[in-house]
Amino acid sequence: MSEESSVTSNRKLVLPGDLMETKSKPGKGIFRSEGRIHSSVVGYSNDKSGYINVNAIAGRYSPKVGDKIIAICVETGPSIWRMDIGASFNSTLHHSESSWKVPFGDTARFLAIGDAIWAEIFMVDAAGTHQISLKKDDCRKLYSGTIVKVNPTNVTRVIGMQGSMISLIRDNTKTRIQIGQNGYVWIDGEGKDIALAQEAIETIDREATSEGLTKKIEKLLEK
Amino acid sequence: MAGQTDMELIKNGIRMDGRKPDELREVKIVAGVLDNADGSCYLEWGNNKVYAGVFGPMECHPRHKQKADRAIVQARYTMAPFSVNDRKRPGLDRRSTEISYIVSQAFEKVVMVEDFPKASIRVDMQVVEAHAGTRCAALTAASVALADAGIPMRDMIPSCAAGKVNDVVVLDLNKEEDNYGQADLPLAIIPSTGEVVLLQLDGHLTPDEFEQAMDLATSGCMELYKKMRHALENSYGGKA
Repeated sequence: MSEESSVTSNRKLVLPGDLMETKSKPGKGIFRSEGRIHSSVVGYSNDKSGYINVNAIAGRYSPKVGDKIIAICVETGPSIWRMDIGASFNSTLHHSESSWKVPFGDTARFLAIGDAIWAEIFMVDAAGTHQISLKKDDCRKLYSGTIVKVNPTNVTRVIGMQGSMISLIRDNTKTRIQIGQNGYVWIDGEGKDIALAQEAIETIDREATSEGLTKKIEKLLEK
Repeated sequence: MAGQTDMELIKNGIRMDGRKPDELREVKIVAGVLDNADGSCYLEWGNNKVYAGVFGPMECHPRHKQKADRAIVQARYTMAPFSVNDRKRPGLDRRSTEISYIVSQAFEKVVMVEDFPKASIRVDMQVVEAHAGTRCAALTAASVALADAGIPMRDMIPSCAAGKVNDVVVLDLNKEEDNYGQADLPLAIIPSTGEVVLLQLDGHLTPDEFEQAMDLATSGCMELYKKMRHALENSYGGKA
């Protein structure tokens, strides 16, 4: 079974307001009105294990606790950094959640505007604000390399089944790649390798809904 | 509305552009035309040409406009200087401020604003060519752009006008009918529930004619809704 056929087989495109004929419980991308379930976004519906979900095709990243993401510094305060993670709001990184001992007011010495990190989301509240942490597992500051932004809804496509797509790109371009759940992708390696990997990832992002993507990428990487 | 003309706007039940009274102008909708916007749409409706781009949800600025419990929709309707016969002075004027406001109000009824506290959803509509009915065209285009941006909403809202020309109630007025007709009634509805989210009336209609115009505009909206769906299905290469 190739990856494409399993993605394309049982999918159904739904639009906002579409009535969902199902007995399952509502999951994400769904709203209830008069006891009936409707889709709230453009996406593919998916009805399994008692829940109906609509996976949106477009839209900004909505942070979830535990997600590994790539964040870019956009503002520094006396004891915090404001980080862009591609969500509706910028995320906060408090100095106590970093791996450094930061003197008050000296944040920019460790993380200046434009610097990127590999971090984890550790708090999201109802008001939509969120905080990230550098203290978990392999979280760190990213030196060298480049960052490519893809649509967060296409992250699963970039990774592929059990990481098939991403290891294809890694093996063929000899680059180091880390994919944040927010759709920011970090690529490090030789200049021309990065360019090739970037082209491959951008192609996946652009043609995420098309079929036969793996073959196309294989061909692109052979060049 | 008040203009005078010798033109025969309607003759033997056929309008001057060859349409029947209950016929829409030709509509073409393309979703996802702009790369830099989160969602976008290009719409041609008769001679009207409109672009709509959506950004967000994002942090609302200025801060005093933030709502602690929900998002706001900041719509902005503008007409290009070359969109009309007499050059239009660019920028906001009384008319575009009004249209921006009513479009914001309409969208706050369908967009799930309660999911994004303190946020703002920017909807920018640019009329490139105007030929009557641009507020309906802009609202329809913005609706498709919002769906294209992946913003959760209860439904898309189509918008269409009806009016009165030579004592006949007609659907979707063109430029001449708008300028020299007797009434213009733009309407926007939520197709799944039939709720009205925008209704204006310029000119005079009797209660009977009003009912008739409402029915006509509603059917126009439903027809338009099919085209909006079609545009999104095309752009995502799937079947709904």
